[in-house]
Amino acid sequence: MASVAEVKSAIDAAIAQINEGQAAVRVAAEKLAEAQQSLAAALEGSGHEAVGAAQASLFQAATDLEECLAATVAAIEQAQSYAAML
Amino acid sequence: MATTPMSTTSKATTMSTIQRLGVRVRSAAEALPLDAVAVAVQRLRAASDLLLAVRRQVDRPDAVPGVERAMEHVEQAGYALRVARERLATYLTSIGLGGAAPAPATSPRPHPAPSVAAAPPRARVSTPAPQPDWWAARIAVLTDGDVPQRRPDASWDADQLLRRVAEAVRGGDRGALRDMLTSAPAPIGVQLTARAREPLARLAADLLGHPPSAADLPRLARATESRVRSLLPGLPGHVLDTVLARTCRVAPDTHAAARPAHPADTPVASAVLTGVLLGLLGRSAEALAAEAEPHDPSAPPIPSVGVTRG
Repeated sequence: MASVAEVKSAIDAAIAQINEGQAAVRVAAEKLAEAQQSLAAALEGSGHEAVGAAQASLFQAATDLEECLAATVAAIEQAQSYAAML
Repeated sequence: MATTPMSTTSKATTMSTIQRLGVRVRSAAEALPLDAVAVAVQRLRAASDLLLAVRRQVDRPDAVPGVERAMEHVEQAGYALRVARERLATYLTSIGLGGAAPAPATSPRPHPAPSVAAAPPRARVSTPAPQPDWWAARIAVLTDGDVPQRRPDASWDADQLLRRVAEAVRGGDRGALRDMLTSAPAPIGVQLTARAREPLARLAADLLGHPPSAADLPRLARATESRVRSLLPGLPGHVLDTVLARTCRVAPDTHAAARPAHPADTPVASAVLTGVLLGLLGRSAEALAAEAEPHDPSAPPIPSVGVTRG
């Protein structure tokens, strides 16, 4: 069984990793928004099935990145609370 | 009839317009943030490993928070980005620019192993630790059965697991479904959500006769809910609602997605729903293998024009 200090150390390390993951997700979301804008301008008026499917997938990706960010915020709060009550 | 200077100029202008369009689309496809998503997956996986190790070391593992939900979403985002890139390549091919398909992402695999160098020191997280049993324990709850007492097979991959689960669903045997789900370790199991997404959309489209939309949600729910619930009596209702909503491309915030779910719930619900749809369509699970092939992220992104057909 690990000591409290060891558990807290592992949780702190996990939080640091989550923070880095959050930063990468934010970068991804920004780049994705730019790509969506660029594609929307280039492909405006297209009725091609593949274009519609691509744009739907990009919308889905943006939604998932938003939900990922929200989940990481919640995970950090929970990890901090857990570590605080040890 | 002789070609007039005006028609020649017009043709040249048209060609150049298409080529410029191709450059813009290709550029946007190459700018899709697959690398940033891969980094996020890497970091969250490292965090997940640390938290799983903590769970193995404490008396109440269920109290230790996890990042499975965040992992699930970021892996789904990566998958959606790769699908989008494939679709854009299909589009370029269809307008005569197929040879200019976007290059594959430098880190196309959604599940890169965390960098050892980047991994922080761990608290007694040593070596070959037993698989955490939270996955098997949750499967037992979802399927209303006992926790199997055996080690999962780590050699499975998520696509294989999805097919096996779909087969078990088609058989309608809850015990067989439980055995199949617990035969794979948690890190493979949690990938089922991302792996099931595309098959769910295609199968739902085939069942409905058109791509699923918000208006189809009640019909899709009516067709599938009772079968899913008979196999997963312990599944919280809002989890299936969320999976169905996503399949119908309904924004999750208008449904129950914001409510917390156990990290095993959505992957299991997604896989079982896939099996139910296959059953309603009278197809075998092997049909998934054929569908999965064009989306192998390690393959070059040169899709055939027909890949979007179900």
